[in-house]
Amino acid sequence: MNNRRLGKIMSPVNKLALLTFCTALFMAGSAAAKPGTAAKGKEIYDKRCTWCHGADGAGDGAAKDRLNPPPRDFTSGNYKIRTSAFDDMVPTDDDVFRMIRDGMPNTAMPSWSSLLSEQDMWDLVAYVKSFAKYDKPPAKLVEYGTQIKSSAESIEKGKKLFEEGDRCVECHGKAGKGSASKRLKGDAGERTWPRNLTKPWIFRGSNDPKDIYTRISTGIAGTEMPSFADPKSKKKLTEEERWHVANYVASLAKGKDKTVNAENTVVKADKVEGELPSTVEDERWEKTSPTTFYLVPQIIGGERFFTPSDDTITVRAMYNDKTVAMLLEWDDRTKSIPGDDAAEKIADAPIAEDGVAVQLPVEIPKEMQKPYFGMGDATHPVNIWHWKSGTKDAGETVNLLNSKGFKEIEKRDAAGVGLKAKSSYVDGTWKVLITRPLTTSSADKDIQFSEGRFIPIAFAAWDGSNSEKGSKHTMTTWYWLLLKPATGSKPLITALIVAGLFLGGLLWWARSAKSAA
Amino acid sequence: MTKKRLIPRLLQLVLIIIGVYFGFILLFDVALHQIIPKSLLTMYMLFVVAGTAMVFTFTEEGAQELVGPIKALVEDPSKKMIRNVVFVIVPLLAGYYTYTSMLPSFEAPMELRTIHPAPPSKFKAFGKSYNLTTLQNPYRKFEKEDPAKFKGLVKEGGDVYIKNCQYCHGDKLDGNGPYASGLNPTPLNFQDVGTIAQLQESFLFWRISTGGPGLPQEAAPWISAMPVWQDYLTEDEIWKVILFLYNYTGRAPRSWANE
Ligand code: HEC
Ligand code: HEC
Ligand code: HEC
Repeated sequence: MNNRRLGKIMSPVNKLALLTFCTALFMAGSAAAKPGTAAKGKEIYDKRCTWCHGADGAGDGAAKDRLNPPPRDFTSGNYKIRTSAFDDMVPTDDDVFRMIRDGMPNTAMPSWSSLLSEQDMWDLVAYVKSFAKYDKPPAKLVEYGTQIKSSAESIEKGKKLFEEGDRCVECHGKAGKGSASKRLKGDAGERTWPRNLTKPWIFRGSNDPKDIYTRISTGIAGTEMPSFADPKSKKKLTEEERWHVANYVASLAKGKDKTVNAENTVVKADKVEGELPSTVEDERWEKTSPTTFYLVPQIIGGERFFTPSDDTITVRAMYNDKTVAMLLEWDDRTKSIPGDDAAEKIADAPIAEDGVAVQLPVEIPKEMQKPYFGMGDATHPVNIWHWKSGTKDAGETVNLLNSKGFKEIEKRDAAGVGLKAKSSYVDGTWKVLITRPLTTSSADKDIQFSEGRFIPIAFAAWDGSNSEKGSKHTMTTWYWLLLKPATGSKPLITALIVAGLFLGGLLWWARSAKSAA
Repeated sequence: MTKKRLIPRLLQLVLIIIGVYFGFILLFDVALHQIIPKSLLTMYMLFVVAGTAMVFTFTEEGAQELVGPIKALVEDPSKKMIRNVVFVIVPLLAGYYTYTSMLPSFEAPMELRTIHPAPPSKFKAFGKSYNLTTLQNPYRKFEKEDPAKFKGLVKEGGDVYIKNCQYCHGDKLDGNGPYASGLNPTPLNFQDVGTIAQLQESFLFWRISTGGPGLPQEAAPWISAMPVWQDYLTEDEIWKVILFLYNYTGRAPRSWANE
């Protein structure tokens, strides 16, 4: 996640230069010292890396079945992030070093620079490469021609090439969110998801145009992401074209709405005079301030779930004197419709409906104590509003549940309390609008909303094409919902009065000083 | 007035107060990585202002020197220009401050919790009762008695860890697993000297087997994402994972013997 974002402190070349210099100093003259020693690398590997990559580098450590992407099988010789030419599988030492130092965002592969020394990491490079018997540097590197700087024109050209003949759209979708038209697999048989290109922090190799150019040129080994430098490919791109596409892909990251800001933990509902928006498209939603949270897999209670596909949820809210409305938005690469042939083909069987849920305490806590974040507890029940996307034969539904922990769940009548939901799915994004009256007739069973109070709120989401159903889903822990009271003119009037008083006081002081003198 | 100073007393006072203010911000935000809540900062600053003013006006002479420039501003006709400026700025500032402080603040409520609460002397897990004062890791003795066997046990503990714990506590045991940033409170960092190195193995056994919900009230059990591991692991596996935590971080458990 974001704390694994790459930090480029020094270019690899500088780093190599510095390292060579240090090694030279250390070895006091013995020139041409190899940067890393495989034997030393093995020692570190056996302590730090076997858990995932396995004792023999075959990617079969204890963790392998609970990780997607799975730990790399180094004997396969596949390196995803490399700068060697598309038809040369061998990575450069710098490539491997970079991944060990920086880690691979959005995977279990961490950045090791906080724990290991530079020399340790070079030793690991030598050892890790030996699993595939890579003992020579690559014969050819990616050719870059002259870099074309990003401009409106270049981005426009890139967009055309991205869409032309479904070149990238086939897998990354029209909006670049990875809503593929087909099911993709990796070499190890694992399910692979085309990258959501609008979220740069999940790129394994950064979204700098030069990095993107490199990935398009080499393809991503061990996955279906092909090379577009291969002259045999029908979808081949020239060097210049690849720069345009890279500039376009980099430009997809412009939206800030879906970036998590750890300090923003409050969903602020604006007060509206008159009617609330009745559709997800209503323009007024654009004016509200969005709050985005990470979704983490449910690995805490009941049957656990380790391989999520949804990663964030963005929430907006408004209210008027009768009702509160929330707009929930999250990227989901697949619209899961049980019974629909096309949807079933892309999904991991058995397919289930997509879904989203909002959790609120039945009673707004007066003190610090809240219900247990995982569906409440015996003395602190929660309300759960659970929307489901529907099947081929039945439309979307919204359910109301009251629970005291995940074993004690009571189904209630959603329509009875006026709970309603409406949705849209466009290019890999779900938007669901949920509304409920501020108060209901069953105050002992339903939350009664009131202005100006901090109300605990949590969310959950299900991707039915990714085996998510029941307790297998993604979720957040508690955050806050606040119905922002309308400010009115009181602060302004008070401020004017205070300023006036100060001015008056000062003038009086000056005058009395003068008359005294 | 008495002797000439390099920096006038009034300016000194203002500089000290500004210095302390930024000192607080630096200490909390930068050094401790914890944004200081506004209300707390206001309270601290109130004490600081009152305190320094008291020190500065301790003697008659000191007080004179302090208010001198202010009096001069109002009374001295040659300072008319500055006076007019001050008379505009001060009311404006006061008005602005009133306005912003009356706007409702939407800062989330503070949540204080004890990270290492006092453990109970007895607790229930795996359907039996444990006495925390006498509980010991049954495998610890092999560290000296049979190092080869011990190594094997640590490895088994590591497998348990990587399959169950790394998502939150991280593959480097630094509390920074792939899902850590989605949790509040964040998973604890075992590399830090303030966590397992300060604790006994029996404390860890209690925390791991009963998880977040097993915490006492002062530790806010309702927000801790730490799972209840007796639901998923055996007693043996928990003791082994504890061996692994200490072995990987190179730390030693706290024990009665060392005290
Ligand atoms: C918690 C599990 C875990 C541990 C521990 C771990 N890795 Fe990884 N590593 C992964 C995963 C998962 C991937 C594959 C990510 C992907 O395919 O996107 C990976 C990929 C890699 C790659 C491939 C980079 C590329 O360009 O394709 C290298 C090299 C690597 N790891 C080295 C190491 C080294 C060296 C260590 C020990 C210091 C280590 N890993 C420890 C999980 C782990
Ligand atoms: C056949 C399907 C397919 C096509 C066509 C395809 N991609 Fe990909 N792409 C993938 C997959 C799958 C991944 C994720 C690989 C992985 O698991 O690491 C990916 C990953 C990426 C990444 C992420 C790199 C990183 O650092 O994480 C970029 C950028 C990218 N693709 C760009 C493109 C562009 C641009 C095109 C068109 C020129 C394109 N892709 C065409 C399947 C495809
Ligand atoms: C879902 C995330 C999650 C997982 C998985 C998880 N933990 Fe935790 N753990 C936490 C959080 C959050 C805390 C801090 C809050 C608390 O003290 O309960 C914590 C606290 C702890 C503590 C208390 C440390 C101290 O200094 O008081 C120990 C020990 C611990 N975890 C061990 C483990 C072990 C062992 C595993 C695997 C068997 C594990 N955890 C798995 C989230 C997790």
